[in-house]
Amino acid sequence: LRKILVANRGEIAVRVIRACRDMGLSSVAVYSDCDRAARHVRMADEACAIGPNPPADSYLRIDRIIDAAKRTGADGIHPGYGFLAENDEFAAACRDAGLTFIGPTPHAIALMGSKTAARQAAIRADVPVVPGTEDPLGPEVPIEAVAAIAESIGYPIMLKAVAGGGGKGMRLVTDRDELPGAVRAARSEAKSAFGDPAIYLERRLLRPRHIEVQLLGDQYGRVLPFVERECSIQRRHQKVIEESPSPVVSPALRARITSAAATVARAVGYTNAGTVEFLLAEDGSFYFLEMNTRLQVEHPITEMVTGVDLVTWQIRLARGERLDLGPDTLLAPRGHAIECRIYAEDPDAGFMPSPGRIHGLRVPSGPGIRDDGATDEGGEVPIFYDPLISKLAAWGEDRPAATARMARALREYEVLGIKTTVPFFRWLLAQPAFLEARFHTAYLDEVLQQRQGKPFAIAEEDVEEIAAVAAALHGLASPARPQVAESAWKKTARLEGLRG
Amino acid sequence: LTFEIEVGGRTRIVEIHRGPEGYKVTVDGAEHTVHVARAGPKWSLLVGPAKAGPHDETRKAVVGAELARPGRSYEIAILDGRAGDATIYVNGQPVPVAISERGGRRRRARAVGDAAATGGPQRVVAPMPGRIVKVLVKPGERVAARQGLVVVEAMKMENELRSPKAGTVSEVRVTEGMSVEANAVLVVVN
Repeated sequence: LRKILVANRGEIAVRVIRACRDMGLSSVAVYSDCDRAARHVRMADEACAIGPNPPADSYLRIDRIIDAAKRTGADGIHPGYGFLAENDEFAAACRDAGLTFIGPTPHAIALMGSKTAARQAAIRADVPVVPGTEDPLGPEVPIEAVAAIAESIGYPIMLKAVAGGGGKGMRLVTDRDELPGAVRAARSEAKSAFGDPAIYLERRLLRPRHIEVQLLGDQYGRVLPFVERECSIQRRHQKVIEESPSPVVSPALRARITSAAATVARAVGYTNAGTVEFLLAEDGSFYFLEMNTRLQVEHPITEMVTGVDLVTWQIRLARGERLDLGPDTLLAPRGHAIECRIYAEDPDAGFMPSPGRIHGLRVPSGPGIRDDGATDEGGEVPIFYDPLISKLAAWGEDRPAATARMARALREYEVLGIKTTVPFFRWLLAQPAFLEARFHTAYLDEVLQQRQGKPFAIAEEDVEEIAAVAAALHGLASPARPQVAESAWKKTARLEGLRG
Repeated sequence: LTFEIEVGGRTRIVEIHRGPEGYKVTVDGAEHTVHVARAGPKWSLLVGPAKAGPHDETRKAVVGAELARPGRSYEIAILDGRAGDATIYVNGQPVPVAISERGGRRRRARAVGDAAATGGPQRVVAPMPGRIVKVLVKPGERVAARQGLVVVEAMKMENELRSPKAGTVSEVRVTEGMSVEANAVLVVVN
C-alpha cells in the first residue's frame, strides 16, 4: 500500500489521513460540492470531487469512489465509519477493482450486517444472545404469528430492524395491545431506512448497560480483544459519552466478555478492526447484541488506555502484516479515558441540529486531552451530514481524574456562532449519577424527560451582569451605525482607541 | 454614556465613564471598575470590587456576592446580530443581549424583541431542509407552550419542532412525507 483513498468526510477522514501521514503513505480525499474547502480536503495530498451534496449522490456512490481511486492511482480504500463502511457490495467492488479495502471481508460484513444471521453466529459460538427470534420476520409473517412469538418471549419486547442500526426501526413494546401498531411502524421505518422491512424481536432487559469489545484480527486467524468500552449514556439509542474501561466490569468479567467477543469473531473468520456489542444485565450476565464491522466512532478512548493506534493497525492488517501485539497488555488498561461527542445541536431546543457558520472556535488542549475534529473558525457545518463537530476525549490516571480533565476541557471549549452540545455535557458531567457511574442505557432519556426541556446553559446572575458590562462597552466602541455590520476586530480596535 | 442593556429578560441601566485605570461602569446603580484588554478578537475583562449606589441597596447582596472579588477575570467574545442585538460570550457562555443608547439622536432602534413572548400568530418554520416525518397536531387544536407540533427529519435525525407559545393551531401547512425547504412555514399557532 502506497496511497490510500479515504471514502469519507469530517473528523474520521482527518483521522485516517493523519494515520496515513504517520505511516509515510499518501492520502486522497474525496468531497461533495459543499465540502470543497473542508479540512479533510485541505489536509490530504490529493483530492477528488465525487458529486453533489446529498450523500446518495456523492459519499454513497460506489462507482464514483472507485473511479476516484483509479484516477488518482490509489491502491487502498479506507471507508471510515458510516456511509459505505458496512456495505459489503462496496468492499467487494474495491476487491474487484484490485484495490485493498481496509476493513473486513465482504463476507464478514454481509454476515454481521444481518442482525439475525449475526445472532445465529453468536449462538453457534456458544455466546449468549438476548432472548428473541432467530429468523427475520418479513412482511409475509402475519401479526398473529408475531404476537404468538412475542408471548413466548415475554413482554416488554424490543422490535428491531434486521438490516438495522442507529436506532432506526427500533420500537419498545410494553404490552400486547401496542404490538400491531409497533410492528407496522417498525417495518415501515426499516423499509425506508434500509430497504428491508424485516424485523426481529428481542426481550427488553431491565436497566442494562451497553458494553462493547474492540477487536483486531489478522489474515492468519489471530483475533485479539481489547479492554471493554462502556457506552450506556445514550440519547434515543445514540451514544453520547463513552468510556474505557467500564466502571462496573471486574477483571473476571472482563476476561469472560472479551473472550466471548473474540470467539464470535473467530467463528466468522473475522479480519481487521471490529467491535462486538453486548448488553450487560444488573446480575452480571451479558448478551451478544451485534457486531459492527468497522472502526467505531469511539475508538480514541481505546487508543488512550492501551497505547495502540487502531487506524494504523487497520492499514497494517489490510496489507497482510501479522497481529503481533501482546494479548495481555490489550486487556490491562492504563488509566481511564472518556469521550464526549460534540455535536452541532441545540441541547436547549430538544437537540435540534444547529448547522451554520462557526464564527469562533477554541478547541481545548493540555494534559490528557485529545480532540478529533474537522471544523475550523470560519467553517460551515453543512446540513447534509451528521452534525458531529468533534470527539473530545480525556485521559486520567483513574475515572475521577479523567472526569475532572473532561470538565476542564469542556470549560475551555468555545464554539461561537452555532449551538453545540458542550453546555449539555458540562451539565451531565456534574450529575451525581454520572460521577458515581450509576447509569444504564435508558438513563439519559429518563433524566431528559424529567427535566422537561429545562435549559442546560442557565446564565448565572454574575454572568448576566458581566454580559451587561461587556454589552455597554461594545456599544461604546461602536457608535450607532444602523445596518452596518462590523467585525469584532474593528470594534476591539476602536475600543482600544478609547482606552486611556 | 448610558446604555439600556436588555439581558435575561430584564433591562439594566449601564453607565460608563472612563477613569484613570480603565472604566467606571455602573450597572443599575452598582459601580464597578473594569479594565479591558484586547486579545485578538476577544477581550479580557478584569472586574474590580463593586460599590453599591446609594439608591440601590437591593443590588448590593448579589453584586457583593458575585462581583466583589478583586480583579475577577472574564473572557469576552461578541457576535453581532440584527441592529442592537448581540450575543455576548462570557467565558464561553452565550448571553443574548439587546443594546440601546439612552437619549440624544444616537439612540438606536431596538430590534423587535422576542415575538414569541408577545401576542399574535406565531409561525413555526423549518430550521433546515428536511422531510416531515410526523404531524402531531390538527388545525383548531389547543397546544401548550413547548408542545411538539411536527417531527422533521434532517441531518440524519428526527427533530421535534415545538410550539413557541400556548395557543390554538390555526394552520398546518405540511403533511407527513413532504419535503420542506429551510424557513418554510409548517404550522401557525394563534
